[in-house]
Amino acid sequence: MYALKTLTDQPFRFIITACGVALCVVLILFLLGIYKGVSVGSVEYVRSSDADLWVLQRHATNILRCTSILTPEHSTTLKETPGVKFVSPVLFILASVKLPEGPATLYLTGYDPKTGHGGPPEISKGRNINKSGEIVLDRSFASKHHINIGDPLQVKNDTLVVTGFSKGTNMFVIQYAFITLADAHRIIGLAGIVTCYLVKVIPDAHLRHISSEIEAGLPDVVVFDRKKFLENNIHEMESGILPLLFVVAVIGSVVLMAILSLILSINVLERRKDFAIMKALGSPGGFIPRLVVIQAMILSGSGLVVGIALFFPLMGVVERLSPEVSVLTSPFQILAVILSVTVISLISSIFPNQKLRKIYPLEAFK
Amino acid sequence: MNNVNKLKPVAQLIGVSKTYQGNSREINALKDITFQAYPGEVILLLGPSGSGKSTFLTILAGLQGPTSGEAWLFSKKIQDYSPAGLQKLRAARVGFIFQTFHLIDSLNAIENILLVMRFNHTNKKEANFRAIQLLERFGVAHLAQACPRTLSQGEKQRVAVARALANNATLIIADEPTGSLATEQGMNIVSLLRKSAKTENRCIIIASHDQRIAGYADRVIFLKDGVCSEKGEM
Repeated sequence: MYALKTLTDQPFRFIITACGVALCVVLILFLLGIYKGVSVGSVEYVRSSDADLWVLQRHATNILRCTSILTPEHSTTLKETPGVKFVSPVLFILASVKLPEGPATLYLTGYDPKTGHGGPPEISKGRNINKSGEIVLDRSFASKHHINIGDPLQVKNDTLVVTGFSKGTNMFVIQYAFITLADAHRIIGLAGIVTCYLVKVIPDAHLRHISSEIEAGLPDVVVFDRKKFLENNIHEMESGILPLLFVVAVIGSVVLMAILSLILSINVLERRKDFAIMKALGSPGGFIPRLVVIQAMILSGSGLVVGIALFFPLMGVVERLSPEVSVLTSPFQILAVILSVTVISLISSIFPNQKLRKIYPLEAFK
Repeated sequence: MNNVNKLKPVAQLIGVSKTYQGNSREINALKDITFQAYPGEVILLLGPSGSGKSTFLTILAGLQGPTSGEAWLFSKKIQDYSPAGLQKLRAARVGFIFQTFHLIDSLNAIENILLVMRFNHTNKKEANFRAIQLLERFGVAHLAQACPRTLSQGEKQRVAVARALANNATLIIADEPTGSLATEQGMNIVSLLRKSAKTENRCIIIASHDQRIAGYADRVIFLKDGVCSEKGEM
């Protein structure tokens, strides 16, 4: 009763504080959503591939931030390895495309559309490429640059026609695009080379044995099974973006803690006399600290409700303004934020409670 | 009042002195005070500002200890109570009335009374019933839902008295209870307190510099520069 009444006694301050908490909640949800969006976008290509083994140049560990160059000779040896069903070449190129508003960069993925291996994880609109001169763009890239299906797109000296948009191909800082391997070779100006080979083995084949065979026959390559290669790519993505998100999330949490702690401390100081009177009148030991904790919970609870309610419409706005920002959220994330904010509000009440300890019942007689 | 001396004292000071450490010198707020207060008594502690009245009351209520001597509350030395024990004792058996009422502004009149009953873990239904009874008794039942800031000084003090009596306290400590009131209002309050002492066997200790209260007191204790002298029964 007292906890709520003292807060609502000053409605403007209460609303401003709840809004401050709500903004922090939106920020934290946004960061978690970006993290999940980037996680999915960055590794969905690997995750959705049906390849059993990924073969790269030795010392390369992933396709996100590594250089790997393999030749057609590697393909020949791979195909001859017992247990290998088929081998699909993929060439990744960072390429600049000319757009009316200026150049933009794409992570061009050259593959063989006849086999389909190494192509986009999912086509969200239009169709996949099936011949030279065609390109599939990530849907957020297309949306950001207002590119429609059928539009021409100039990549170096080539003009490719957009046939469709893909999903799960947004890495936040860059987006995948899919072209034929022949087009990729022409764009890079080097025929034959590829980044990696996707290997499918015959049913019931022993993967580790085949990997060893390949590495024995090709000492300059490294072979990863699907699980390990996915782990490598996730690790690479996380080590690149997680520290940044972590720092911003920590700043958000500290701001949240500071807001709550400050408001609660001001409240304690303003109500110093009330607390002294309560102490003189015999309030039980935990009664007043509990009031502060309840106030912290009321403030954070109100902020959470407002923040969660604002999050979804705000994300819609952000995605419309910056389509490359892919935000994914889940009930688990929201639950995690609720728990985190609850913990933060509990921590925030420590400092004001320290101040309370220095309020003495004798002050009621002054 | 001779019969009260056969009872156990509610509060007792034996050779109590209290010294505060000032910036450059020691301040002797109380000097070798010996005092007993019994149930059913109204005691007026009379003295000018700075005479040590508040220190006297706060030691008596167990809010601070003496520098030397012994302070007893309900037949037990204050020093022998734990802090939690003293807090429970204050919630259950000591009522306070302050000069400026000290009602909690964010709570309405009835909530101010309910709050102290909550400190005493009184059953909610019983607390509500008793709070309404007290407000009716002091003629402010119609102001139960009113915020203290909307009440007159007299109304505030009536609510404050109701709060002090809420837990059926045996000892009521009143620090300048008439200080913020007009004469008539002040005397009404003191009269209400005296009635409560006599009908409910409470010990009421009033600290004041207002000599007109003496007519309502059983005993008057004069306090000047921390030294006490008793005038005896009125």
